Parts: sequence; structure tokens; C-alpha cells
Amino acid sequence: MNADAMLIEHMMSPKNYGKIAYKNSEGIGKNPQNGEKVVVYMHIKEDEPVPYIDNIGFEAIGCTTTVVAGSMLTEEAKGLSIEGARNLVAATKALLEKLPEEDASCSEMVALAIEAAVDTYEKRKEDASYPPITYYVATSCTPKEEEKDENPTD
Amino acid sequence: MKTLLIKTHEAWLEMLFTGFMSHTRNRETLYDFSDILFRHFTWIEHAMIKAGESYDYDRDNIPIKVERLDDMLKTIVNRLLEIDLQLMGLEDRDLAERISSDIRYMVDTLKEMNDEVITAFSVSRKLPNIELTKEATDALTLFLFEESYKEYELIMIYNYLKAHSDDVFLNRIFQILIDESFFHLRSFGDMMAKMGILGVPRVVMKELYQIEDVTAFLKSGIKEELAAKEECRRLSEAVANESPKLARFFDFINNQENYHISLMKEALAYYESKKGAHA
Repeated sequence: MNADAMLIEHMMSPKNYGKIAYKNSEGIGKNPQNGEKVVVYMHIKEDEPVPYIDNIGFEAIGCTTTVVAGSMLTEEAKGLSIEGARNLVAATKALLEKLPEEDASCSEMVALAIEAAVDTYEKRKEDASYPPITYYVATSCTPKEEEKDENPTD
Repeated sequence: MKTLLIKTHEAWLEMLFTGFMSHTRNRETLYDFSDILFRHFTWIEHAMIKAGESYDYDRDNIPIKVERLDDMLKTIVNRLLEIDLQLMGLEDRDLAERISSDIRYMVDTLKEMNDEVITAFSVSRKLPNIELTKEATDALTLFLFEESYKEYELIMIYNYLKAHSDDVFLNRIFQILIDESFFHLRSFGDMMAKMGILGVPRVVMKELYQIEDVTAFLKSGIKEELAAKEECRRLSEAVANESPKLARFFDFINNQENYHISLMKEALAYYESKKGAHA
């Protein structure tokens, strides 16, 4: 399957979209610029030597790129330990500057929602009623075409 | 009634998207049946509002990737039979009988439908007799995913607003906008099936339709319609050389947005005048 076909597959049937039946954490990634957001629902299996994410789901108010990023990253996160999930978030953040601005913002929002869910899980070990943490994106989400229209060169 | 609403919602979308997959006259029947199921959905919703039951538009994801039409038809028949069973618990017996009668007819008809080979998931990304550049194909692909979801989202939002409003003036506007979004969703779904990239839109998040500030929603909705117009204009330009027919279609959708914007402006002025009268 080439890259195009793989992306289209994620568009046609996003993986892990929606709430999950049993969760013990959730986190939110938000873009304050345009109100877009991603919510990640997580169930971390605890009765194991190394607890790991055994189920994950997400919902999004956002564009198709956000949904594709959510589909890919939650699929990657499934089966990871807390440490592994943090590494995934760090690796995604490190990749952001190589992405076009509008794609970077969408991927960052998903990565932050995963990070927020992991942090909420840690907080809930001390306080079971700890509310879901929200993190805000740092990258801007201005589609290139709009930038072009706003700054005509001719 | 909650389960009944969810199952009917899922059956409506299954029926509609199976209609997109069909290459034959089955398509018209499936479209008609999906309209009937959408009406069932609104009747059940109305019954829930009357009974003071809380509800939302959550549902399961709907897998539709099949190789033969029969596979989907069997799934839908099972879903309809499940709904019929759920109807036994419905207090409003007239409503239950009305829906049940429709279901019996639909099940019989679906069982008699001829099978078809499905190409709606081939990922060919080609429209019959139209050669597009890679750039135009990518732009069209993204547009179809964005806008098919958007139209579904709008149907759900305006339906929710309509279900919770007794205002004749506003409900007329909401109904027109629902009908227009249905037309757009069908046009885009049809095109997605032809390009082999058909997918059911994702579940709409609650906060999008359980709107607290309708005027803010309408204002941002007008901006979104303007952005959609711009996207249609760009697509029309991108495909004009390869397919004047496709370009005309996007010009047509672009011009339809003008009407949506004027309806939304009418609704906005109405809400604001009501707000002013209460101030």
C-alpha cells in the first residue's frame, strides 16, 4: 500500500474513532485559534507488570487531516506503556517542524490530547476524580492558500 | 427509546450509503428507504423529547466496506429486524405500528433485490470519462471527505435545532437547510463511490449540535459557507480544462451556498431581533 492509499484508508474508515466503553483516563488537545479540538479516551490495563494502553479512542472537531492524524497516532499508541506513549508524543512533536503548518497543527493537537490523557491518568492515581487535562497547540493553523491570499506578491 | 434512536440512526446511514454503492435501479429504492428511516429517526426523537428523555446523536462507527451489495443488504435487514424487536417496548403503539409496517415492507423489498459487485472501495480515484491531474485529484479527494462530513454535520445540527424549536419561521429555514444538505451529501457520496473512496462520516460531537449560542453558531456557519464557496471556486478552476462538466457542478454548488448564506442571515436577524425584544 503506498502513502496515498494508506492516508485514504484512514480517511475512509478512521481507526479508533469514537468513545470507548471503559476508560480510566481522557485528555484534550485544543486549538484556541479556531476552536478545533481532539479528545482522547484511554483505558490503561493496570494489572500487568508494566501497565499499558489496551484501548484508545478519539473524537475530533476539526478537519480531515486531524482525523487522519488521530487515526494514525492512536493506532500507534495502542499497546504502548506510559513511557512508550510519552516517547510517541515526543517523537511526533519533533516531527512537527518538518510538516506543512496546517498539518503540523492538526498532528500537534492529537499528540497533545494523548499527552493530556497520560498526564490525567497519572493525576488520577492520587485523585480519582481529577478532571481531564487540556493542552493547547503552539503551532498556527492557517492554510497556505489563505496566507497567499492575505499577502499577495503581485 | 435510546437504543431505538441509535439503531435507526445507524440503519438510515447504512441504507443511504448502500444506495451510493449501487450501480442499478436499486439505488433509487435505497435512497427512498433511507429517507423513510430518517423520518423514523425524527419521529423517535420527537417522542423522546415529549417524554422528557435525554438523548444525543452518538452511534457506533458503521463499517460498509463490502464486495457485494448482498453483504450490506443482509446487514441492513438484520438491523431492521433488531429495530422491529425494539419497537415492542415503545409506549406509543401507533408510532410503533407505523414504523413496524414500513420495516416489514422494506425488509421484503431488500430481500428481493438483485446482487451487485461493489466498486465503491476500489480507491481508483477516477471519475468515469474524466482525466484529472494528480493535483486536482488530491484536491477533489480531500474536498469530498471534508464536505461529506460537513453536510452530515449540518443535517444533524439543523435537525437538532428544529427538534427543539416550535418557531414556524425558524423551522422553515432549518428544514430547507436540511434538505439542501441532503442533496449535497448525496451528490458528494455519489462522487465518492464513483471514485472508489466511499466512507461514512464520523460521529458528530455533542457540543456541535447541543448549541448554547445559536447566533454565534450562525455567524461562524456563514463564514464556513463562504470558505466552502471559495473551495468550490478553486476546484472548479482546477478541473475546468479537464472537465467543463465537473467545473459546472462545482459552480452550481458554489452558487447554492449563496442561498444557504442568505437563509442563515435571515435566521440570524430573527434571533437577534428576538434577543433585542427580550432585552
